[in-house]
Amino acid sequence: MVETGHFALVLAFALSLVQTLVPMFGAHMNNQKMMAVGGPVAVTGFTLTALSFAALAIAYATSDFSVANVWDNSHSLQPLIYKITGTWGNHEGSMLLWVLILTFFGALVAAFGRNLPAALRANVLAVQGAIGATFFLFILATSNPFARLNPAPIEGRDLNPILQDLGLAIHPPLLYLGYVGFSICFSFSVAALIEGRIDASWARWVRPWTLVAWMFLTGGIAMGSYWAYYELGWGGFWFWDPVENASFMPWLGGTALLHSAIVMEKRSALKIWTLLLAILTFSLSLLGTFLVRSGVLTSVHAFATDPTRGVFILCILTLFIGGSLALFALRASRLTAGGLFHPISREGALVLNNLFLTTATATVLIGTLYPLAVEAVSADKISVGAPFFNLTFGPLMVPLLVVVPFGPLLAWKRGDIFAVAQRLMAAFAAALLAVLVTALFIDGASVFAALGVGLAFWLICGALTDIAVKSGFGTVAPGVMLRRFAGLPRSVFGTALAHLGLGLTTLGIVGTLCFGTEKILSMHAGETVQLSGHMLRFEGLYPAQGPNYSEDRGRFALLGADGSTTAVITSAKRSYPVRQMTTTESGIKTIGFSQLYLSLGDEGTDGSVVVRLWWKPLVTLIWGGGLVMMAGAAMSLMDRRLRVGAPSRRRKSAGAVPSASLL
Amino acid sequence: MLFWVIAAILTLGASLAVLIPLASGSKGGTASSDHDLEVYRDQLSELDLDVARGLIQPAEAEEARAEIARRILRLDNAADKSAARQPSMATRLVATAAVLAVPLVSWGLYSQLGSPDLPSQPLSERLAKNPADSSVEELVARAEAHLAANPSDGRGWGVLAPVYLRTQRFSDAVTAYRNAIRLDGDSAARQAGLGEAIASAAGGIVSADAQAAFEAALKLDPANPKASFYLAMGMAQEGRTEQATAVWQKMLAALPQDSAWRGAVEQALAESAKQNVASGVPAKGPDAANVDAASSMSPQDREAMINTMVAGLDERLRQNPRDAEGWMQLIRSYVVLGKADQARDALNRGIAVFGSDSEEAKKFTAFAISLGLTATE
Repeated sequence: MVETGHFALVLAFALSLVQTLVPMFGAHMNNQKMMAVGGPVAVTGFTLTALSFAALAIAYATSDFSVANVWDNSHSLQPLIYKITGTWGNHEGSMLLWVLILTFFGALVAAFGRNLPAALRANVLAVQGAIGATFFLFILATSNPFARLNPAPIEGRDLNPILQDLGLAIHPPLLYLGYVGFSICFSFSVAALIEGRIDASWARWVRPWTLVAWMFLTGGIAMGSYWAYYELGWGGFWFWDPVENASFMPWLGGTALLHSAIVMEKRSALKIWTLLLAILTFSLSLLGTFLVRSGVLTSVHAFATDPTRGVFILCILTLFIGGSLALFALRASRLTAGGLFHPISREGALVLNNLFLTTATATVLIGTLYPLAVEAVSADKISVGAPFFNLTFGPLMVPLLVVVPFGPLLAWKRGDIFAVAQRLMAAFAAALLAVLVTALFIDGASVFAALGVGLAFWLICGALTDIAVKSGFGTVAPGVMLRRFAGLPRSVFGTALAHLGLGLTTLGIVGTLCFGTEKILSMHAGETVQLSGHMLRFEGLYPAQGPNYSEDRGRFALLGADGSTTAVITSAKRSYPVRQMTTTESGIKTIGFSQLYLSLGDEGTDGSVVVRLWWKPLVTLIWGGGLVMMAGAAMSLMDRRLRVGAPSRRRKSAGAVPSASLL
Repeated sequence: MLFWVIAAILTLGASLAVLIPLASGSKGGTASSDHDLEVYRDQLSELDLDVARGLIQPAEAEEARAEIARRILRLDNAADKSAARQPSMATRLVATAAVLAVPLVSWGLYSQLGSPDLPSQPLSERLAKNPADSSVEELVARAEAHLAANPSDGRGWGVLAPVYLRTQRFSDAVTAYRNAIRLDGDSAARQAGLGEAIASAAGGIVSADAQAAFEAALKLDPANPKASFYLAMGMAQEGRTEQATAVWQKMLAALPQDSAWRGAVEQALAESAKQNVASGVPAKGPDAANVDAASSMSPQDREAMINTMVAGLDERLRQNPRDAEGWMQLIRSYVVLGKADQARDALNRGIAVFGSDSEEAKKFTAFAISLGLTATE
């Protein structure tokens, strides 16, 4: 089975070469047969990659230590779920997951792309095949997960304990679906550049892919943030860590792309800019993969000691980013510009959004790469931490968030800013009220905190205003309003939900940062501590045994007003003997949207233990907002507009699409 | 064999995926202008909806309509300029190359990378197969699995213990011997084995624990050669070479001619004689020598040695300051040595390295508090 998987991987590489060359040559010669090769080959390539991945996963599930990768990252005593997730909890396996998702998206284009012009489809699949081929080669040449050991060791070296968590089952697949999803937008852009023309349906095709990728990336980042929050035991939700930034940059770029694609789709404007954004977004995804996978982040010098992988990815990076940008420079002038618009209009608002988001992306990029550059040149290690990002990224985001509610309410081509402002009066009043209530009634609230809460409410109420205005709230009879509400395009709900989610996340961040409290103290069993009105009693440390670890569990009782126990919170220090590592399992109690978070520190000689406690108001909204954003993207995906562009299918029903069914 | 059949089927399937579209009849593809027209029509109908919903002003909508109409006109001009070129020699060549590339590339590459003769080896299968075919490692793993399920099987521990000893898993051997003695009763062989395991785990040093085990073995069987041999080794390590030599010579006289211990005893005698001539110090590995030195030192000397080690750590942290574990070790060392000032200094330096609001700094502070130390005087 293992060797079957290995062979399937090699075969998939061979097919990806065919997928790159034949359809592209076919499109160049306008040969229908050759262009048609792309589809079946993409689907077969995906099937083979899936077979290969399944073989590796089975090797993990059955603890087949004759596979070097399994031996290095698994242990026979692990629970089955962690054995399976261990498949992608390492470099080789995660790269295999990367190409699996890449070929999966290629197969989706092949399967659902029948309504695309043949040449565009062939070129998209060819570019997708080229990305696949380089990564297959990378895997086979430098990180083969199917390398074997003979004789096989009898026991493995265990998976990194931090990764032995359900988070590993969810976070990397979601994140990769996001990263790699942008490869489709990239392929579409490069295909358009190769052809030298942008089809009208181009944006309609790119937008759903952008939405899918953006949705998964949002989920992946939110999940990763929550995982770091509860697993690392530091109580922070975002560290401006380079690895985090690596996923955040494509997200910012993708968000910009999402918005410029709307303009392109509706008004055929901003074509060239959208093309460039699609290229840049996937380039940032590749850069993220490079930063995380090459080891360059731990140290520039670590990269130098084991250079094959890093240099290989650097070559891939140069090939695709450099190649696509060169192609862009050559061909962009041949593309025709689209519709006109005035500065104050929906288009204008979306351009503003793009300006802010791309500048913010550049800020994060500089903050991430600058320390690496300094280290490479001068051997000094500097770190660009939260202060840099707070000073640069923060001021860029605030004005963007302030103008967000205006965007969806502005008319296309020429908008009336005063009319929109009037419609937003209610939202503004609500935000002002929130500011006043926060400033007057919450102890210790700073001006910034009050304004932050106001900003969050402004976003939330602005999103609701959008829906209210578009369904005619207050101007038409309730019956008509309900009918209009039900008839609104899904994308309107999608926009409102995504902006609402943004508001919720803002509220969560402001709440946690401005109103959170923390305590570090040394406690004996039986002692109580009070934090922001919550009384906790330390019950003591109890040893326990897990399947492949032993732990000391600290039990804490949350006491009610009458002194009775209302809940038990457990935090533990786990020790994994195989890797000789300890991890901290934090104890979390969710109360409303807020959380009580505690983690155990070291034990003192006198039986006391260091306990760190945090009260994190509204913290769950940070990730809850992410989920709402995902829901918004999913809602937008259901919009009927995204399925238009097929001549044959539409012809038959052209007369049968009454506008009533759309309203 | 089965693998080659599967590989052949996979290759066939992959080649067909390339071949079938190339061989099948040519379908007339839709021109891309048809697709464009469809989208423009839809944009026009959407424009009407936007006007109805007030998302665009009527005047601007007219303008937009004109823009779309212009695009449709341009489309008609551009349409049907390109006709399919006839399949040339080059296209046929490319098609043939593509079909051939799949088997050639895959089999060629796999022959370089793969290990087709190596079967999958799931752990459960390896542990379930006939014991006669298993390697020692597999047998051990099997016994471990059995003992994990039945930890009170004293005989099992007794069987496993000498295997551990032979495979150099000394600390596991110590545990196994202790369990066997506790659950299945004492014996000279087990006590001697325990002593050997303890000594081997310590790099050959016969410690007090090991000595106790060997003495217990001799009590049960005064003629146990292993116990006598190691006890004498212990004497030699303490510098009582003459006593050791005496024991070994006595053993040599008493041991039967075919005993496996004769060789070991003769070698030990030869070595102790050689060392007596050379330097009088028994030969050991560098690590064992250090530990041994520490255990035989006077308290003052030992403290001096520890101080040197701590100073070494301190120096190393000055060179490589970004080592959180190292800082905590240093702080703890100073506290243990009773040098609170230096511990506090180390704490402050550690915090300075990572920045006072870093997570490491918080960790250091918490750690220092747990040792009864505060950051600033």
